Amino acid sequence: MRYLITHSLLSSWLWAIKENPYEDATTEDDSWDRFLLILNQESTPVTPAMQDGIDFEQLVTDIMFELADPSHKWFEAAQQVYQIVRKGSLLQYSTSKVVTVAGKELLLYGRLDALRAGTIYDIKFSRSYERGKYYSSTQHPMYFELVPEAQRFVYVVSNGSEVWTEAYDREDTPSIIPVIEDFLRWLERHGLLETYEAKWQAK
Amino acid sequence: MAIRQPEEILGQKKRIRMLIAGYPGIGKTTLALSAPRPLHIDCDFGLDRVEARYRVPFIQPQSYDELLADLVPENLRDFETLVFDTGGQLLTLMSLWAMKKDPKYGQRDGTLSLKGYGFVGKEFMRLMDYCFYELKKHIVMVFHAVEEKDGDNTRLRIKVEGQTKNNVWEPMDLGGFMEMHGNDRVIGFSNCERYFAKGTRGIKGVMKVPELGPDKPNDFLTRLFDQYYKQAADEVRMAEEQKRAYEAVMEKGQAIIAKIEDANTANQAVEEMKQLEHVLTSHQELAHLFSQKVAELNLVLDKKTKQYVEG
Repeated sequence: MRYLITHSLLSSWLWAIKENPYEDATTEDDSWDRFLLILNQESTPVTPAMQDGIDFEQLVTDIMFELADPSHKWFEAAQQVYQIVRKGSLLQYSTSKVVTVAGKELLLYGRLDALRAGTIYDIKFSRSYERGKYYSSTQHPMYFELVPEAQRFVYVVSNGSEVWTEAYDREDTPSIIPVIEDFLRWLERHGLLETYEAKWQAK
Repeated sequence: MAIRQPEEILGQKKRIRMLIAGYPGIGKTTLALSAPRPLHIDCDFGLDRVEARYRVPFIQPQSYDELLADLVPENLRDFETLVFDTGGQLLTLMSLWAMKKDPKYGQRDGTLSLKGYGFVGKEFMRLMDYCFYELKKHIVMVFHAVEEKDGDNTRLRIKVEGQTKNNVWEPMDLGGFMEMHGNDRVIGFSNCERYFAKGTRGIKGVMKVPELGPDKPNDFLTRLFDQYYKQAADEVRMAEEQKRAYEAVMEKGQAIIAKIEDANTANQAVEEMKQLEHVLTSHQELAHLFSQKVAELNLVLDKKTKQYVEG
């Protein structure tokens, strides 16, 4: 049997155990409840911060297809993001990779916003961005594992009016595998491994 | 304007933009003044804190208008580097200038409004671009550092109000945090739990800042910049070779995909694509383009024969 692992699952777990800011969902709700919902593959409430991220990414996509309203309050920033990301010839590229960790066969899965010439781009919306915010994120280590040929990962971050980039190189990024190993061990210790195995079977 | 080739950059000494951050009194200014032929833009009026033998020509602007008036080519012929000391005080001068320019950039309590922060952030970028591209100078920007609690960790950040702190990092090629390690002064260019710095062109990790003395010149940054040039030349050469190889394989792959019209040509394309020698992420990118093309033509892979057939 093969099981699915995503960056979001790892990120929600790390947030639940308070080791890592869940950067896509800075919420007031209970991070533990959220993790259990995700682990059980149940729908999680969309927070205003998450909705902002979804809306902003949609605006960038609309600009790409010339469908965006130029009077939108985030238009200028989204256009700047588009200028950076459109360098990616592959947009919304889904990819997966099979790895064996702690004796389990796992299918790592990720959806890249853009990929070109060895660089992965990911769009973020954050009202409280501080440089270095994604240093501890599981996303770039996970995506480097998924795309072994990628050399660089660039977070393209906006607050709706300004745009910043935060880049990570492969050579400076730790492997995601030990994090996954810790995750599986933690699930086992907390009696949640069965839930994971039941709910996260890879098709 | 003459169109130039990327490899021409190899022969040029690119100007460098650098940020130095650290606690007051650790020696940031003296380190900044070790850059090639510096002009000390002493916004903080802190020149007297620099040991006399390390002082260099300076200006002490009292307003941002005064600074702009000073930063003209005819005043700067003898200088290679502009040292802004501190960047925080520069931003204060810029903020006062912005609020004078248009009251909407300020609030009643004398601080910047949200619009004001945006405006000052843009002006900072404009000034950096002007100094770098038009005046063609190195830029060294000195910032005080502050400690901030982040969960269980204490992180060092540059001391700047609001989101301008993100803007000041954007144009920088290098950014280092100065700290004491035992009795040694060090500067770190790699990201770590303690701070988020910026190292490029092989300038990374933690470097010891040499002790100064009567027989030791203050030239750490001049030597660091030389190291940067050497690494930059090597890196650009390698990147150019890789880029050329990547573009070539992408061009070949796209030409193969463009010939696909039906199941037969799709199967031929598969064989041709197997011969390509991939560079960087060309394999994923071409595989995706191939999948799109066969889907457009409604072709499906017969799992038994491993051949494309009409869908």
